Amino acid sequence: MAKSTIYAGLEIGTSKICVVIGEAKRDGTIKILGVGTAPSRGVRKGEIIDFAKVQTCLNDALVRAEEPSDVMIRTVFLGVSGGHIESMNSRGAYRLPEDQSEITEDDVEEAKEIARNIPISQDNVFLHSVTRQYIVDGQEAVRNPIGREGRILEADYHIIHGLRGRVQNAVKCVREIPLEVEDVVFTAIAAAQVVLNRDAKAQGSLMIDIGGGTADYVLYEDGMIAASGCVPLGGDHITQDIAMALQIPHHRAEDVKVTEGSCLFDDIPPDEMLRIEDDNGFVLGEIERAFLNEVIYLRTREILEQVKVRCQEHIGRLAAGVYLTGGTSLMKGIDVVAQDVFERKVTRAGSAPVSGVTATFENPQFSAPIGLIRYAQILDQEKPFMSPLKRLGRKMADLLSVILL
Amino acid sequence: MVEYHRNPTTELTTSSPLKTCIVGIGGAGGSVLDRITMDRAVDATLVTMHTDIRVLSHSMSPVKIQLGVELMRGVGAGGDPELGREAAMYSREQIRNAIQGHDIIFICVGLGGGTGSGAAPIVAEIAKSTGALVFLTATMPFSFEGKRRLTQAEDSLKQLENRTDALILFENNRMGELTLPKDGIQKAFVQADQLIAQSLRAVSTIITTPGLVKLGLDDLTSALSTSNGRCLFGFGEARGQNRGSEALKRALKSPLIDQGRLLHQTKTLLVHIAGGDSLTLVEVDSIMKQLGKNVPDQTHILFGVAVDPKLGESISVTLISSLGLTQLNTLAAAAPPSEMLPLKERSMPSMLSAVAAKPAPQLKHVPAAEPMDMLFGNDQFSQPEPQAAVVEQPDMFEQESFTSEPEPVVNAEEIPFEEEIFEEVAETEVTEQVSHQIPEPEPEPETVKPIVRPRIKDFIPTSTARSTTHLTSVVARTPTPKPTPTVEEEAPFAPPLNSVAAKKPLVSTQEEQIAFRFGVDDDRGRFKNTEPALAGGEDLDVPTWMRLKRKLKK
Repeated sequence: MAKSTIYAGLEIGTSKICVVIGEAKRDGTIKILGVGTAPSRGVRKGEIIDFAKVQTCLNDALVRAEEPSDVMIRTVFLGVSGGHIESMNSRGAYRLPEDQSEITEDDVEEAKEIARNIPISQDNVFLHSVTRQYIVDGQEAVRNPIGREGRILEADYHIIHGLRGRVQNAVKCVREIPLEVEDVVFTAIAAAQVVLNRDAKAQGSLMIDIGGGTADYVLYEDGMIAASGCVPLGGDHITQDIAMALQIPHHRAEDVKVTEGSCLFDDIPPDEMLRIEDDNGFVLGEIERAFLNEVIYLRTREILEQVKVRCQEHIGRLAAGVYLTGGTSLMKGIDVVAQDVFERKVTRAGSAPVSGVTATFENPQFSAPIGLIRYAQILDQEKPFMSPLKRLGRKMADLLSVILL
Repeated sequence: MVEYHRNPTTELTTSSPLKTCIVGIGGAGGSVLDRITMDRAVDATLVTMHTDIRVLSHSMSPVKIQLGVELMRGVGAGGDPELGREAAMYSREQIRNAIQGHDIIFICVGLGGGTGSGAAPIVAEIAKSTGALVFLTATMPFSFEGKRRLTQAEDSLKQLENRTDALILFENNRMGELTLPKDGIQKAFVQADQLIAQSLRAVSTIITTPGLVKLGLDDLTSALSTSNGRCLFGFGEARGQNRGSEALKRALKSPLIDQGRLLHQTKTLLVHIAGGDSLTLVEVDSIMKQLGKNVPDQTHILFGVAVDPKLGESISVTLISSLGLTQLNTLAAAAPPSEMLPLKERSMPSMLSAVAAKPAPQLKHVPAAEPMDMLFGNDQFSQPEPQAAVVEQPDMFEQESFTSEPEPVVNAEEIPFEEEIFEEVAETEVTEQVSHQIPEPEPEPETVKPIVRPRIKDFIPTSTARSTTHLTSVVARTPTPKPTPTVEEEAPFAPPLNSVAAKKPLVSTQEEQIAFRFGVDDDRGRFKNTEPALAGGEDLDVPTWMRLKRKLKK
């Protein structure tokens, strides 16, 4: 069956808005058809603060992605992030009825229901509930419990939730374009789908997607997601630190960061100076390179340390080490700092190879949007296959419901 | 383990033969008692004790005891537990007469202040010596009240531990979530009192009403036995359809349980379900099943059911447990800091200024010096900038002139020594009153006033003197730094603002009060209007190097 589906992933980031259009083939491969990015305005720390600005930028990005790929996008997978996103592991135990010893689908559903029924605050909404494993009578790591004999079935869940209002605002913003949002995905989950391979997940790995406004992380252990979350710190903070330290405008600081910035300041001679120019090319002043780098170093280290604090208990079990991705992972010397913080092997990685626009997947900036496509593909594979007739029927029903409303 | 007499409960079912007495000590204790009096929630003798005659005269409870009449002359203890203790010693005969002949004595107190922390151990001792069971319901001070009050509270707690049969401790810091941010401050006060009143009622019901599945004092103490633990208390009552799960939901909603999140950590949980004659087994079963989802398997659940005809059609669910302070704090930090911390940050200074009308301006304005401090410390590249920043805060200048002005006035006016003490007392008392309650995000002075107005009025004759004495003491304390030594130190990039240097020592003397402040908006740059990213008491949006520098300076 060589059926393929076209998906669009949309990430509204703090520094850029990115739309990736990809073709997910039935055999599990992905072909990138088009990528559109636009510098983002009106987003702070991963959260939208100015709707109108974001929508303008989003339209730009959309056009840029649609043009080369010759695809018209109607629905997107939306990546969300932000400091409000939290995660927890929950386990639900279900005791089978006395007269039954074989686990059925209903029992699994019941166990899932119990596991997912955790008290989260009224304002929060579930983003993902990922099955980690099933446990049958205390025997761990059961992938598919249906049909097994057992008395007690436990479902182990990793649940990611965020503030309802914030998530809905992002969705609303996209809907006004108008685009339909097919699913809302926590960006770290998406990025992990393409950054971490099966081996890395099995051995235990931590992926940190350091973007403009947030550092999203996912930690895998024994092939199961063990922790995830978001530190509301990112490249934007580095830029701000520079801007405030050097007393220069934000966009100049951004330039300095990208062109000259590095996290390493030990080996730089103290008298090595760096010229800071203003927008017209006039020299504003000179600063010591070591000073600039130290400012960057302090912030970068702090971001990584914040991630470390949040998954402290798992750090010891990361055989495959730490994977850095996202725009800020391009910072020079960040791997050295990460090595220092985590004391683990550090890999800077983009997305796993996919076909299509090759420059895209090598760039860690695009890990999350490509991951969204992969995520969509995985979702699709998990869905039961529907015959075209059935699908048509469903579409008609959808249409009807719209008309009736 | 304390002996519990079973016979009275088996003999009588209609009226409780156990005589209960509730004692409220100090400001916080008094207001809880008022609440209980108004609600007529508990069938007990109510006794209010306070050193301050003014507070006492507003109290609604039938029995009032003024502590240390000769010693204190009707003035509060001024945050000094020693005074509170002495006062209670003076009045111990009166106390004994009031509380004698009861089987159970609840002591209700807000720790950290003078009267409460000082007198409570004495009262507990007397209560114990009458042969009654002694329960203590205490609130621990808000963290922004400073280390000193916390130490006072803890000292007092240590003394109380040996003298009481059970301790029910409430963390004031958690009380902030009781009300909606937009609710008036009075409502917040009322709710906090109500919660404590509820807990008192629940505990007394659990112990006194006969149960189908009985819970006794031993169960209660084991539920509360965590070293340095804080009480997790939830109470819910509901009627009508689905009343069981509704009641449980309400109980879990209690902020002290944090949507049931905190229950994940507890070792022992006491559950008490009470209902009218219509209570069914199925209902109890479903409540327990639902509750089971919120509680880990290894938790020891102490379960009790009682049928109380008074409840009629409704069901009440009471959850009591305790959690170590450290655990509680880590959890709290992990869970809802975004709502809790900024709340304090915004509300406290203005609240202080609103309530403690005179002494507060210092507290309020001192933090304003901080951004300056930061700015000229770091401003290495441009000089004009800080000036602009200063102009943005004109109240700095106002404050400056305000501080210096009264000086001559004071010199001209002879202020008696007594009054100075008086003023000190007043100040702490006023703040104490506030601090037992909830930080309120919208502390409009109008809403605050009713609570303290009578006392402020009482002090009106001395108020002018007060303000000046306080200011002089402040001015006198900081004469040296005025001639701008800091400016010389960091001459190249210092802003031309002497007032900053003058204010600096104040920052250190009153550091405790401003410790709750996080990043000042100016330091947050482009993240000014976003939700602060807080970790370990720091605002991570403020540049790392800036925070590091600040730390090094200290």
